[in-house]
Amino acid sequence: METTNAETASPRQEQRKQKRVNVGPAERQASMIGGAALALSGLTSLSKRRYLPGLALMVAGGMFFYRGKTGHCDLYESLGVDTIHTSGTGLRLEKLLTINRPPQQVYEFWHNLENLPRFMQHLESVHVTGEKTSHWKARGPGGVSAEWDAEMMDDYPGQQISWHSVGNAALPNKGSVEFNEAPGERGTEVKVSIDYYPPGGAAGRGAARLAQLLTARQLEEDLKRLKQILETGEIATAESSVAKNTAFAQARGTGNEEAI
Amino acid sequence: MKAVCWHGKHDVRVDTVPDPEICNPRDVIVKVTLTGICGSDLHLYNGYIPTMKQGDILGHEFVGEIVELGSAVTKFVEGDRVIVPFPICCGQCWYCQQGLWALCDNTNPNSWMLEKLYGDTGAGIFGYSHLYGGYSGGQAEYVRVPFADVGLVKIPEGLSDEQVIFLTDIFPTGYQAAENCDIKPGDTVAVWGCGPVGLMALRSATHLGAGKVIGIDRFRERLEMAHIECQAEVINYEQVDVAQTLHNMTGGRGPDSCIDAVGLEAAGTGMVGAYDTVKQALRLETDRPGALRQLIMSCRKGGTISIPGVYGGFVDKMPMGAIFAKGLTLRAGQTHVQKYLRPLLELVASKQIDTTFVITHRMALEDAPIGYELFLDKLDGCVKIVMNPQAAGQGGEVGS
Repeated sequence: METTNAETASPRQEQRKQKRVNVGPAERQASMIGGAALALSGLTSLSKRRYLPGLALMVAGGMFFYRGKTGHCDLYESLGVDTIHTSGTGLRLEKLLTINRPPQQVYEFWHNLENLPRFMQHLESVHVTGEKTSHWKARGPGGVSAEWDAEMMDDYPGQQISWHSVGNAALPNKGSVEFNEAPGERGTEVKVSIDYYPPGGAAGRGAARLAQLLTARQLEEDLKRLKQILETGEIATAESSVAKNTAFAQARGTGNEEAI
Repeated sequence: MKAVCWHGKHDVRVDTVPDPEICNPRDVIVKVTLTGICGSDLHLYNGYIPTMKQGDILGHEFVGEIVELGSAVTKFVEGDRVIVPFPICCGQCWYCQQGLWALCDNTNPNSWMLEKLYGDTGAGIFGYSHLYGGYSGGQAEYVRVPFADVGLVKIPEGLSDEQVIFLTDIFPTGYQAAENCDIKPGDTVAVWGCGPVGLMALRSATHLGAGKVIGIDRFRERLEMAHIECQAEVINYEQVDVAQTLHNMTGGRGPDSCIDAVGLEAAGTGMVGAYDTVKQALRLETDRPGALRQLIMSCRKGGTISIPGVYGGFVDKMPMGAIFAKGLTLRAGQTHVQKYLRPLLELVASKQIDTTFVITHRMALEDAPIGYELFLDKLDGCVKIVMNPQAAGQGGEVGS
């Protein structure tokens, strides 16, 4: 619950200091130097009586200089881009779903981490390597892939599991899942929180693609698949032939056996 | 195999497509021996339901024979003749277990679409757009049926396909509509729309104890059917003021319950009808609620409005004030077919209710394009078309 409160509080904080810093240090320096250069060449143009291009260059240069000096970029803000905070606070995905099965059963299924790729589409495999350690392989859109080692932190049977990546992960992350008994014999309220820490600044496009390994929408679909496996033993598909369905079914191990 | 495929507004074709296969352990493949064109298929035909794709196989009313079984199917063997309910249900989610089958959590692979539109999802439905899962339908020689053990019911020996096909949709739909009216002995139930669902609702209302049933339509053959087959008093809404007539027929009270078996394409009359047609054509409102407004205005105080007719989006000028002032109850939704299938099959098997009277046209699957036209324009007295995918086509001629 604390995390939720922190989440709801942060937009308000953002409102308070509207012109907050959202440009990383390397980029700020480049902006100041580049902006100054642009403004200078604008001045030169003006002196040669090319007024319009000269003015445009000066305005653009001024904007870059301002961006570098203050560390705030309106364009970044409107695009939701932040090149300084991502590495610090991470991206949080949080989803809830009620599954018509007892908490202990849902916990046990999740606790066997090797089950995760059966419903989490971005995971290629999870191998348990020790009592608390595991090795994860993920694959995202456009063939982007990542591997990391993870360690289980909290493990309260029937209630909660949490884990975090360890070592030199390309995409540092941590996650937790809570299993709460739903009222009126409705099963288990599953709450998943996953935090990603995409490497900021320098890695650029690669980092942005890594960050797309898992989106909120995907996580929601993942949880629906978990629900389907636990409630019905299979994943619903509208395909009329196996061909299109096979790759996913085989990769998830839901081909022809009953799950659970 | 041959299948009736959607290609666009007013464009259905019989295409040759790949046979379906077992995809999941609880699937079966059904060889379709009889399939119907439903009034709700016309909403697809008229292009009012979004997310249809070229080549989608239509049809959600069908019976047939099981020809292939998934590894986890236990209740059936090859060769069983079965009735297939139109909603696909898992049987294990909370909703299925509450008997709210059509609200199944697990069978719509495109649940996110409905969640965006309506805030939550319902069950997948055969041949009814990608909103409802994108499942291939039963107007085909073969169809893949998921969760066979949950939904399907064996056809008892001695009953023909025609006797049981309407248990897949329109009979339970009409029955649920009547049951939602919470009918007390002697109640008057008025039904807007004497198409197949309206006729089933009239018949069901009588079965559930209504003292008087009233059918409202404009097509002579449908009003006749309501009168002769369902013992209904009838109103032609083009000839009289419906609310006033109902008022007069009920001692000034209004019907105790009103059933909207029309849905989003009501053919309104007068200025208000024109208003809705124009707004819908301009996409300013998605549904034409002419009948629904009339229901609300006609119903007696404290009565029930029951809506089996399909609505897809937004309606204008809903008399919310009347709903409030008269303390009306509104009930709506897709049919929980699995809840009604067995009890209604009993009624059919014991000859208490015979639903075959609605069939006016029998065709081969290949004649589906003609069938859709006939049904849309209510030509040739068309009320209900059934097609046999295993029979040879008549090359354009229509048998009845």
